[in-house]
Amino acid sequence: MAKGAFLRVERLTKTYRSGWGLNDVSFELPGGTIAALGGPNGSGKSTLLRCLAGLASYRGSAWIDGRKVDASPASRETIGYLPQSVAMPDHATIGEVLDLFADLRGVDRSTIPLPGGFVNDDDVRIGTLSGGQRHRVALAVALLGRPHLLLLDEPVANLDEEGRIAFWSLLRRLRDRDGVTSIVSSPSPSDLRGVADRALFLDDGRLVLEEDLTGPAPLVSEDDPDDLMEARP
Amino acid sequence: MSAPVTVVASWEYRSSVRARWVLTMAAIFGLLCVTVTLLAFRTVRELGLTGIGPASATLVNLGVLLPSLMGLLLGAGSLVGAREQGMLSMMCAQPVRRSSIAFGAFLGLTGSLWTTLGIGYGVALMIMAGVARGSDVPALATLIGATFGVAAASVAIGIGVSSLVSSRVQAVAAGVGLWIVLALGMDLALAALAPTVHLGPVGLLGTILLNPLESGRILALLGTNFEGTALGPFGAYLISGFGTVGSVLLLAADLLAWTVLPLLVARWALPRKDL
Repeated sequence: MAKGAFLRVERLTKTYRSGWGLNDVSFELPGGTIAALGGPNGSGKSTLLRCLAGLASYRGSAWIDGRKVDASPASRETIGYLPQSVAMPDHATIGEVLDLFADLRGVDRSTIPLPGGFVNDDDVRIGTLSGGQRHRVALAVALLGRPHLLLLDEPVANLDEEGRIAFWSLLRRLRDRDGVTSIVSSPSPSDLRGVADRALFLDDGRLVLEEDLTGPAPLVSEDDPDDLMEARP
Repeated sequence: MSAPVTVVASWEYRSSVRARWVLTMAAIFGLLCVTVTLLAFRTVRELGLTGIGPASATLVNLGVLLPSLMGLLLGAGSLVGAREQGMLSMMCAQPVRRSSIAFGAFLGLTGSLWTTLGIGYGVALMIMAGVARGSDVPALATLIGATFGVAAASVAIGIGVSSLVSSRVQAVAAGVGLWIVLALGMDLALAALAPTVHLGPVGLLGTILLNPLESGRILALLGTNFEGTALGPFGAYLISGFGTVGSVLLLAADLLAWTVLPLLVARWALPRKDL
């Protein structure tokens, strides 16, 4: 693995009956990076995140901090994952949901690095929350146990402006203070302007553009990415 | 038992006992138990019989058919329902084995179903308590044990189904379909085949062991009638071949196998599923 590469993805390929999910995707991310994952609907963004989270089988390999991602629980010890949509049971309270995942991770609830008030009180039932408030609970779950790699599938889709600002601020703080690496998918990567260090664009399962947003030139550009560049963060 | 299993079991237990339809089923089961018990006592008294054996025998079909339907539906909807909600993805993204999640779901759902059955039987037993004798205890214990065994096997079969199907609609259809086959279909098929195919006692035993509901029913009936006469020639064969204790152990082992095998299917299938 190249020096400084925290996440290394090699020829990751996922096929569905309907066609490619991911087609020979390779990239590396250094530790303490926020990567914006863009691309049109069905381009493979969620599939890539699910493969890295150990939720979907694939060909190729992925390494996180020198450890190969496989089906073992140890592979997921350092990963925090937020799916695109979660419907938590209405009857459960926020505290019960957070306790469930904290217990599964074997960590203390106090490890959630969220600002006070980001999530409602523990005894509030999920059924009484708005879509945005439920999403905040799911985000809190992803942050349990101070993961080193965050895989966030459209994390701000249901958040209001205040929530988005708080969340981006948190991601930057986690990167700067704890060296946390994040891959954040978004249908409109311009949301990540000023937040992400790296941009990854997928199209039809292929990585068509990898750009270091702290530098001037794309690292990889397999296709003509003009149309995608318009949406560059 | 590993900690994740306990955590998931506790979560599933709390979730299912709060679900309205489970509470409704508990109330229906309790009401049916009371009704059946009262009606049975009335008939028993009119016939001049004593004790609770005849009354508890009337609970056998109720204790086999309703819990098995509930167990199959609870189990079948569990994993695939959580998958459709996105909860299963979040749980499987934690550093736990998927088999722990499946086994935890089984324990939690079985626990909630046993609670439901316990409430129903509890009410019925309070009614029976006035006329129960010491000698009735084994019959009641066997009936309740058989019902709990059928319930556990049904939840396990449901979870096995849930690990294989890809939508909740498929899961419910499979659960109901399986229940119809196990509760009615196999009996009807046996009845239809009997005149043309000579199964013999061993063949009959084999077909019974292939159906956990039938094993549970016969186990419960053996409890109320240890000589097996209520089961006719088959009961006589069972008792003469295996003895009373051996027959009970054989049928209990069959229910255990019907519980373990579907969980092994889930243990194999769930880790292979893309979430």
